Amino acid sequence: MIETRLGEFEEVILLLSGILGEEAYAFKIAEEFESQTGRTVSIGAVHSTLTRLEEKGFLKSEMGKSTAERGGRRKRIYTITAYGKKTLANARDFKQALWDQFPGFATSKLSLGIQ
Amino acid sequence: MNNQVKPPRLARRLLKAFLRNDLAEEVEGDLDEKFHSEVKNKSVFKAKLNYWYQTLNYLRPFAIKKLNRLQVMNNHLLENYYKISKRNIFKHKMISFINVFSLAVGLAACVIIYLFVSDERSFDAFHAKNNNIYRLDEVQKFTGTNEQKVALSMPGMGPALSRDFPEVQMYVRLWLRGKQLISKNDTKHLIDNVMTVDSTFFDVFDFPLVQGDVNTCLDRPLTILLTESTALKFFNTTSEALNNTVTWDGKDYEVTGILKDVPENSHIQFEALLSMVTYTSGENNVNNSWGGNWMTTYLLLEPTANIPAMEEKFPAFMSRHMDDPEINTYYKLYLQRLDDVHLASTDIEHDYINYRKFNGSYLIIFYVIAAFILLIAAVNFMNLTTARASHRWKEIGVRKTIGAMKTQLFGQFIFESVMLAIIALVVGLLLGTLFLPILNELIGRQLSILPLFQNVWQLIAVLVGTLSLGIATGIYPSFYMTSFNLSRVLKGGNKGEGKSVLRSTLVVVQFGLAIAMMVSTLIVIQQLSFMKDSDIGFDKDQMMLVNMNNEANEKFETIRKELQKQSVIKGVTASGQRLGNNFHQGGFKVKADTGVLEITPSNVNVDYDFLNVYGIEVKEGRGFSKDNPTDQDFAFIINESFANELRLKETLGTKAGHGWYHNDSLGTIIGVVKDFNFNSLHYKVNTLAMVVHPGWGYEELSVKIEKGRTEEGIAAVKKVWDELVPSYPFDYTFLDAHFEEVYRSDKQMSAVVAIMAGLSILISCIGLFGLAAITIEKKTKEIGIRKVLGATEGQITVLLSRNFALLIVIAFAMVSPITYMALHRWLESFAYRININLLVFGAGGTLALAIGLLTISFHTLKSARANPVKALRYE
Repeated sequence: MIETRLGEFEEVILLLSGILGEEAYAFKIAEEFESQTGRTVSIGAVHSTLTRLEEKGFLKSEMGKSTAERGGRRKRIYTITAYGKKTLANARDFKQALWDQFPGFATSKLSLGIQ
Repeated sequence: MNNQVKPPRLARRLLKAFLRNDLAEEVEGDLDEKFHSEVKNKSVFKAKLNYWYQTLNYLRPFAIKKLNRLQVMNNHLLENYYKISKRNIFKHKMISFINVFSLAVGLAACVIIYLFVSDERSFDAFHAKNNNIYRLDEVQKFTGTNEQKVALSMPGMGPALSRDFPEVQMYVRLWLRGKQLISKNDTKHLIDNVMTVDSTFFDVFDFPLVQGDVNTCLDRPLTILLTESTALKFFNTTSEALNNTVTWDGKDYEVTGILKDVPENSHIQFEALLSMVTYTSGENNVNNSWGGNWMTTYLLLEPTANIPAMEEKFPAFMSRHMDDPEINTYYKLYLQRLDDVHLASTDIEHDYINYRKFNGSYLIIFYVIAAFILLIAAVNFMNLTTARASHRWKEIGVRKTIGAMKTQLFGQFIFESVMLAIIALVVGLLLGTLFLPILNELIGRQLSILPLFQNVWQLIAVLVGTLSLGIATGIYPSFYMTSFNLSRVLKGGNKGEGKSVLRSTLVVVQFGLAIAMMVSTLIVIQQLSFMKDSDIGFDKDQMMLVNMNNEANEKFETIRKELQKQSVIKGVTASGQRLGNNFHQGGFKVKADTGVLEITPSNVNVDYDFLNVYGIEVKEGRGFSKDNPTDQDFAFIINESFANELRLKETLGTKAGHGWYHNDSLGTIIGVVKDFNFNSLHYKVNTLAMVVHPGWGYEELSVKIEKGRTEEGIAAVKKVWDELVPSYPFDYTFLDAHFEEVYRSDKQMSAVVAIMAGLSILISCIGLFGLAAITIEKKTKEIGIRKVLGATEGQITVLLSRNFALLIVIAFAMVSPITYMALHRWLESFAYRININLLVFGAGGTLALAIGLLTISFHTLKSARANPVKALRYE
């Protein structure tokens, strides 16, 4: 059975690969993660997560272009799959549903709706 | 962008080494990009550091190379290896037995030696502050006496040191009272090792107090602490004992605490402790007592204390506290680490508080012996495996043809030797468990193999040790077996393995070690029996020593008369100190022509008959006589060493006396006795003065009992004693038992060396037995041809034995000088020692040769007698 639940870190990485689009490869994702969250992360950790997400079918990858900084080496570009997008949306909806049941938060949202 | 800067090469190599090939491009690219961005934004150093960080973070399961299945053993191969090993073990039962047995004996010896050594090392380790506790010792150098190290110090030293030296946190003094009669109403018991101690005792040492207040129990005068078993001698329960009183020396002492019985591995052993405060007030405050050394002082120092610096200040300290301007020529104080008290005090005299004192340098010898034995066992394994290589050639050839790589074959042989090592460990532990009780008996220990399993780290160490032993012994045979080239192996190649320089060398090493240990054992035994049998100048056999108290002293004459009536008793006398230790030294005056000489000999207070009963020979003058009234207190008999030291024209009749005698009322030297070894033979005979001084009281009654009627003698003395001395229980020991005690450390060491020497010869011989079997088997054809051509059995036996004999002779020649030097050094620790007789070496070598040849004779004779037809038929 394939694990379909998303961990917090996995979810963020998946989102970031979606955001970065053409530029979604391990180093860039790690950089983006650091700048967006303010937390440090090693490329290895990101890479390992990307591999796992690919195994689960949320991502697919192919080798992309090379640049001079990389000593002429190509990079592996990850693209989010439809299944990945769906899982992300499900995760968001599920949390939204939970938030809606959360007393303080739910009322304030409701009052916003009235205004 | 700085293209000059490159990522650290080592990190990159590491990355390449472990990273999966299909990931290499993208990962290296990513890391390069990261590196360059770091260089741009931060510093080169930080970028390099980060590269390392990133590299190490790729050590994740997903990114690491899958190990090449061909290179490592997979489960099926392991199974096959196991199966083949098992078959090999059972197919060659004798060789396997030799391999396993010798390794097992080696491992058992190592485990036992380890247990022995760790038992000795565990001494005093239970004191939490043991690293900062030091004993104050002295080097004394008085005129007319041998320079000596002493474990005693002056009572004033402890308090003064803690006042004068900020490094000294605390001092505690132990004043040994020895065996004391303690009573509660009608219950009387002799309590051994009673000590008076300072109230700081528990601040320095961690002897557990089970009842009572550890902070205050020694704070008041007339208080006593009892160990649990002592308390139960007087009271039903320890709770009943607490706050109750017991009587000692006519006074009641309050029991303020109950101590756990002192553990076996403590050099301080006691059964009751008295509080020192009783003596630290009033006129005779011991804190101000200088001059006499009769307490043992321990100091608790600050962890930062600089010991050499402190010791440098001791001379000034001594001058400050003692008036004598010469004081520092007599005394040199030094500090001894608590660890060393048990293991490095054999050269220290007057060391009365030192239970089971052991010569720590022997521990190193034990380690060396353990290593030797293991080495000898390992040599067996290596020799037998390589000598038998031809049996495995077909297997190796087939494996190679199927595609086995060298590393795989190598792995297989290592696997086999590790397997054998593990079997050997199991057998070894069983052997150890089996023989430990016998060994315990022999060396007086309570070693147990169990603690080995209770401590995880020890267990791991044993397992790791065994595995590495397996690997280490397997490496050479594995190299050897895998080094043949395929074609030769498959052709069933021969030659080239009959002779092996390395194998011969190993046999030389093996026999060299065995011979060294054998010769050492012979010399050690010789020295010990020399000490036992040598004429120490007095008669220690059948001498019963009975502890005396005041009443026994008062009634001494009556006791003597009663005892002398009995035919079983050959003589009765008494003395102030027991033979076998150094006697207490004290100031002594001799009035020579040139003036009064001040000298510090050993002194002992004896009864008139002492010289007669102990058979001490008077060389000049006369012995003590009751008919001569001045012989009491004012007549001295000195030993030859003392007489030589004095170098007077006429020793007899010279005026002399103890230090405090007035110059006008000195006594006379009435006799000179031949030197006798009142101290252990480790030490030279010291100068000695004997005096009859009943007023000081005698400590022990010496009763000489007729040989063969010991039991009767003991009963007779007990009967007289119980009648005449109701106030004190009859308590005796024998002098020769006491001497056994004096030489115990030496004895135990010789027992261990003897056992190990026996084992090493045994292992070497069974190794040789196996090796001979293999090499002779290979010569079957040669022997057959020789016999056909007319060689006699004798010629063939000689031919086959010659090579082995040569190896043993070489081993002997190489090892003898080294052994000689080592033994010479050991003997130097005895003041009275044997000369090394080279014949002993000859005997050891011959014995080794004889045992060796005897071992192989089984094979040589068998093949020499065999029918040549059998050997040649196969062609």
